[in-house]
Amino acid sequence: MALGDVTFAIESGEYVALLGPSGSGKTTLLRSIAGFEIPDAGKVFLSGREITRANIFERDIGFVFQNFALFPHLSVRDNVAFGLRNGARRLPEDEVRSRVLQAIAMVGLTGLEERGVAQISGGQKQRVALARTLVMRPKLVLLDEPLGALDANLRLRMRAELRHIREQFGIPFLHVTGSETEALAMGDRVIVLDQGRIGQFGKPGEVYNRPATPNVARFLNRYNVLDGALDGEVFASAYGRFAYGVRMASAKPAYAVRYDRLVAKPVGSVPPSPAIRVNYVASEYLGAAIMHFFEANDGKVLEVEHHLSNGPPSTFSEGEAYDLTWTAEDGIVFG
Amino acid sequence: MDEWVGMSPIEAVASKPDEPDRARSGALRSYLLIAPSIIWMTLFLVLPLAMIVYVSFWTQSTFKIEPKLTLDSWQTFFGSDTYLNSLWTTIRIWLIVLTSTFVIGYPTALFVGLFVRNKTLQTALLVLCIIPFWTSFLIRVIAWRPMLGKEGAINIILLKLGIIHHHIEALLFTELSVVIGMTQIYVVFMVGPIAFMLGRIDPNIIEAARDLGAGFWRILRKIIFPLSLPGVVVGAMFVSVMVLGEFATSAALSGRKVNLLGNIVVTQVGSLKWALASVVGVILTVIMGLVIAGLLRIVDLKKEI
Repeated sequence: MALGDVTFAIESGEYVALLGPSGSGKTTLLRSIAGFEIPDAGKVFLSGREITRANIFERDIGFVFQNFALFPHLSVRDNVAFGLRNGARRLPEDEVRSRVLQAIAMVGLTGLEERGVAQISGGQKQRVALARTLVMRPKLVLLDEPLGALDANLRLRMRAELRHIREQFGIPFLHVTGSETEALAMGDRVIVLDQGRIGQFGKPGEVYNRPATPNVARFLNRYNVLDGALDGEVFASAYGRFAYGVRMASAKPAYAVRYDRLVAKPVGSVPPSPAIRVNYVASEYLGAAIMHFFEANDGKVLEVEHHLSNGPPSTFSEGEAYDLTWTAEDGIVFG
Repeated sequence: MDEWVGMSPIEAVASKPDEPDRARSGALRSYLLIAPSIIWMTLFLVLPLAMIVYVSFWTQSTFKIEPKLTLDSWQTFFGSDTYLNSLWTTIRIWLIVLTSTFVIGYPTALFVGLFVRNKTLQTALLVLCIIPFWTSFLIRVIAWRPMLGKEGAINIILLKLGIIHHHIEALLFTELSVVIGMTQIYVVFMVGPIAFMLGRIDPNIIEAARDLGAGFWRILRKIIFPLSLPGVVVGAMFVSVMVLGEFATSAALSGRKVNLLGNIVVTQVGSLKWALASVVGVILTVIMGLVIAGLLRIVDLKKEI
């Protein structure tokens, strides 16, 4: 996977989430920082020291694998102790023992020290992988889709747990994920990778409310993104000419409006602009909200999210025409 | 069970689909599946083994053998230095060949199973190891004579290179030539199982160990070797069983100086001494049983494979 120009800096004690769709180069980036791969160009610094070509064991960087990569023939305790016993700086055995017990306690696995790693659950394996990395007291921890191998329920619980563990150890985390909700929920700051380059690097709220490029808006999975061109104070698209609230400088022109900012009304009952004539396709119940799917006359699917706290959902009949409308201030234009 | 008589299991399932019957027909099916191998093993393994043990106690005279029980043949074996020496020679050669196949085979397997990550190339390399088996066993063994002989390839090359100034005679018709021949023939049985186990190691595990600061030798000793141990044990079992029962390599390459237990069986059978041959057979079987039991104690193969 080719990686373009990517420049960013992580502060000490920060939890940074790196969001990118598959093939965006996020794993390559992580492996270059860890030292598993040497980049053709570019530099990696850690605490002011260049480590681009440094040996893996000299980097003081911990790596947590998606499949955890625990040593299958060792117990929980010996997995966690592996780096202290076999690493570049070997410690006396009694210090190893106390640090290992402390790390196991901090990830909440006390009592499971002697278990084989085949005898523990997925969430526990995740904690062993974390403890094994954190016991080395690295200067930075890289996590490659650390929650990807867990089931949905556990994934939600481990989010809070991961942040909590990070705060206890005070080590910066760089967490790579393909899930936009995970990135927004976990990162103090979020990096969005777009085709091997940084699309945006900012606080979750900024990224969510002010995506910097049309692709960032697409990856967030919260925006209807329309193609077209900027024409003075309005955006001209195949669906009409729309006024907008915010303009983001971007090479590619597009118009984005969040799913939950759209309202579907019977034909003719809305002001002429901004509005798009659509046909109703289907709805999906999400618990606290309902997603309605509509199709524009060229087949483009537009999504409308209705939060149930805003009253009961409207009912739509399949194939019927409706008008989608929104407040022009909620429209973000790129160009 | 009575209502079953005259019914095929399939009819029974169709007419009585309730649980106990289905369980019974399942049990019947598994017995049917295991029956051929049970019959086969009984006829051609258990019975002959029992027969060999039985015959080893028969009374042997020069030209005939009678089923009169006696310890004579056992006393002959354990009372003779020749036979006892061949027992020790067998054990010594087995240990040497086991070690040499491991020392040569493990690095080879490490290369094929771990350093070659391309599955096609991996298979190609393993096939390459097996190609010598396309020629007959005897040809492979006897081909070592022009290699190791006094005027053989190795002596000629070393002389031409000026590394030695006299022919080395110890190369052929010695224990060394037997060990060389056996190692060449059996090393592939060590390489295969080990390469298989190594190929199953998740590369992330090795990267994790590197990330934790372990160097190559540490990773080899603490991670790779323990994870490949089941392959080593299976390979050692193959090599052990084959080397302990060997007679052809020692006959062809030792000039009759190395007599393994297998060679004694051949000679005794050749002179119709069935009782003594049976004694040696029983001893060989017991040794193999002990070796396999010992190897199985090292790893729990059922769990690993």
